[in-house]
Amino acid sequence: MSTGTAQRPVIRAIVGSLLAGALALGVAHALLGRAFENLATDTDDRSGIVALNALTAVVQSPQSSDDTLRRTVQGWQTRTSGITASRIVRIAGAELLASTAAHDSVEAEAPRRLERDEKPLFDMAQRLRSAVNLNRDEGAPRKNEIEVESLPKGGRSFSGPFVEDGEISGLVQVQSIDTAVPRRPSWWITLGLILMVVGCAVVPAFVFRRRSRVATWGAVGAGAIGLIAALTLHGSFATKALMEAQAQGDAAIAARARSQADAVSAVIPGDVATEDSLAPGAWDTDVYRRSRGRLTADATILPAPPMPSVFGKSLFLLFAFALVLLATTVLGGFHALGRALRDNRVAYAYILPAIVGMALLVYFPFVYGVVLSFTDSTLYNANQGVAETWIGLRNYADIIFDFNVFSHGDNGWVVNYSNFYWTLFFTIVWTITNVTIGVTVGLALALVLNIKNLWFKPLYRVVLILPWAVPNYITALVWKGMFHRQFGVINQVLEIFGRQPISWFDNPLSSFATALATNGWLSFPFMMVVSMGALQSIPEELYEAAEVDGASWRQRFFAITLPALRPALVPAIILSVIWTFNMFNVIYLVTGGEPSGATEILVTQAYKFAFERYRYGYAAAYSTIIFMILLVYGIFQNRVSRATEA
Amino acid sequence: MSNDLASLPPIEAPSLRKRVASVGRYIAGIRADRASGRPGQRRWMHVAAHAFLLLMVAITLYPLLWVTTIAFSGSQSLAIVDLPEHATRWDRVRAVIPWPSTWSSQNFVSVLSDQPFGKWLFNSFLVSFGATILGLGIACSAAYAFSRLTFPGRRVGMLSFLVSQMFPGTLMMIPLYIVLVQWLNLGSSRLGLILAYATTSVPFSVWMLKGYFDTIPKDLEEAALIEGATTGQIFFRVILPLAKPALAVTALFSFMSAWNEFILAATFMNEEGMYTAPVGLRFFVGGFSQQWGYFAAGALITALPVTILFLFLQRYLVSGLTAGSVKG
Repeated sequence: MSTGTAQRPVIRAIVGSLLAGALALGVAHALLGRAFENLATDTDDRSGIVALNALTAVVQSPQSSDDTLRRTVQGWQTRTSGITASRIVRIAGAELLASTAAHDSVEAEAPRRLERDEKPLFDMAQRLRSAVNLNRDEGAPRKNEIEVESLPKGGRSFSGPFVEDGEISGLVQVQSIDTAVPRRPSWWITLGLILMVVGCAVVPAFVFRRRSRVATWGAVGAGAIGLIAALTLHGSFATKALMEAQAQGDAAIAARARSQADAVSAVIPGDVATEDSLAPGAWDTDVYRRSRGRLTADATILPAPPMPSVFGKSLFLLFAFALVLLATTVLGGFHALGRALRDNRVAYAYILPAIVGMALLVYFPFVYGVVLSFTDSTLYNANQGVAETWIGLRNYADIIFDFNVFSHGDNGWVVNYSNFYWTLFFTIVWTITNVTIGVTVGLALALVLNIKNLWFKPLYRVVLILPWAVPNYITALVWKGMFHRQFGVINQVLEIFGRQPISWFDNPLSSFATALATNGWLSFPFMMVVSMGALQSIPEELYEAAEVDGASWRQRFFAITLPALRPALVPAIILSVIWTFNMFNVIYLVTGGEPSGATEILVTQAYKFAFERYRYGYAAAYSTIIFMILLVYGIFQNRVSRATEA
Repeated sequence: MSNDLASLPPIEAPSLRKRVASVGRYIAGIRADRASGRPGQRRWMHVAAHAFLLLMVAITLYPLLWVTTIAFSGSQSLAIVDLPEHATRWDRVRAVIPWPSTWSSQNFVSVLSDQPFGKWLFNSFLVSFGATILGLGIACSAAYAFSRLTFPGRRVGMLSFLVSQMFPGTLMMIPLYIVLVQWLNLGSSRLGLILAYATTSVPFSVWMLKGYFDTIPKDLEEAALIEGATTGQIFFRVILPLAKPALAVTALFSFMSAWNEFILAATFMNEEGMYTAPVGLRFFVGGFSQQWGYFAAGALITALPVTILFLFLQRYLVSGLTAGSVKG
């Protein structure tokens, strides 16, 4: 064995463990950095909210009145650090009671009416009022009682309700600059841990370098142990550092609360500490104005609750990825890949753009969609990682094991139209009826157009192909217009014959009929064209021979025409089933699922779950089930058609 | 719609000879018991055929004439004529006949001038054109590699393109939204839609072009190789010029499918100024908006070019279906 091959496991172990270590610890490093940043943001939020609550206490104290309000707010702000502007707005009369914003003190001094471009302030005040009332009525925190917004020029604004005589009459707003500086995770620790992983993997590879199998697997095993150790160590460092950062944040907030207590008592004359609402510790609240429970009433820090892990469930995923990377490199996967790439670089260069585009915008979305189906991702938590929202198979269970198709209501049994099985049933009925209509009409037309010496044949053909040529969303909207209750021509025709006009979309059956008419209209030309092509390929002599032998037209049809049509019709029907099953535009634009979702097919239902109810995870599971159904259909169809061919 | 064609399973050529033989045997067993093909019977058949065809032509044309009538009526109403309070039967019949009470091009003028429809058409054109150029460029080079070069992963690659046609649109849409809108920040942008349309058209185009490239004889390339041409030169100087007709047809199909696409555009284009024509047409008559005159005029403007294009191209679509099928 030459030295070159003996060295190979060692080199691969070094490269592989370096890559795996860099991936695992790099991500861990980044996650810790983000955790630090979140903590800093959180501290800024708390600091702003303490200031907001303190100001609210000031302006709501019985001593203040509309006349003194402006001076009080000004006085409070000069004693408070980091606040750039404060405003008090009263909803009644849309009045700006006080403002310390630079613009307001020079050009438009408060008190005054709100101006047109200040409408957002007024809206926000009303929003807060309804939020507080809603939360009180429901006895649960449902909507934010304090709104936090990032300002375009940096800094944040905090707005809370303004209470007068026990009723919410407006809002109090403060704008603050961001002061908390996030910690940076240490690169030295990360680098040291990466080196540790490399060291673990290299030792067995070097020791057994003459026996390449042992060296390879030893490097993988030791590398895995090194990875676990490094991640665990990093985790404990991270927890410790975060605890420290959190303690610092708590200390800053406690100091803030105490300084605010001083500011408040300086602004309001008299003994303020006796009032409950002026206890500085109570100012440290969350956005529902509930105490965070980190400070006592006089703003001393309580012991911190245990810190949740930085990585949560993603730790395991990270480890798995790193291990795969390590094993692939060490076992020579990348070496082989590299050689294949080098040997066929011309071919790969030609397909590279297609592969990159497809990977980014087709394959990745597919995989990500399947992953999403295992989460309860919605619009509201879409920025959270997959690990935090992971719920396993619950979406699938919710869809598949929900058998409440019928429920007993006041008027007897009613169908639950949003149930999966109803939609599946409807989709199947929809597909079968449509394909039947399409094949029957298309085949009939093709047979008629196949009559010898028929006049105007090309003209008929061009006209009858038109429905296929018109974009189907336009067809759908046109038919929707024709089925209009009051002005649609279909109802006009009914009235000519003395019938009452029909509200087509109020009844599942008539609603289904509208979609069926639309889709029937646009789908028969495809079948017609396919059948015509196949009919033309039947030699004329066959029919002549049959005629000479005295075969009836029915015998000719079943013995000659149908068998000759089958090779063309079977794939066309397969295709048409898939098209109809997925015919989004017709259902979405014609019936829109009316009445109350009765005429949704699976794809439109999935779309509505995703983009009207914003249940991304659930919609993804729904779509995955649709994919499975189509896959099973495809395999089954393939078997059947192959069996019939043979 | 045309994109789904790539998923068409091969049609096996009917073994016609065998069938002729079996049919011949079948027919030989049948007694000739009556004379057929009398002239009178033929004439009746033709009359019945024309009656049926005319009925189908009426059904086919009515919605199209209806939308044309609304477009030229000059008003926004869905009704062809305004019915009086107590309409007689004749009034109602008049309301069904697709002929406007007054002819006016007002709807066409205002949909292009007062409404932002011109801008939407422009968006549609830009997006479809961009997607066609980009998609076709990507597809031809990939199709060439798949047709002429051998490399590991060739079969898997072709198959994966085929399988990707089965991915349900709604499943892709959420992640596509996340990739394009949240990561690449291309929400309500033409570029985002171009990228989405170009990549989704690639599998169909690759299959179509590969099929055509396969039919180009290899002799030409071999001759070029002997002359010392590189792969790139063969691709650009030999294959592409020969494949011009296929390129044109493929390009027109991808243009048409982008031009007619509705769901993706409706989901991604939230700003009114960035709508494409389909989204804009739906905007006229969706929800509580009832501007049927604008819709009808806009629909004619949007659909007429692609409809005519389709009538010319459907020959290729159908021959593509059958050609691909006979080869198997």
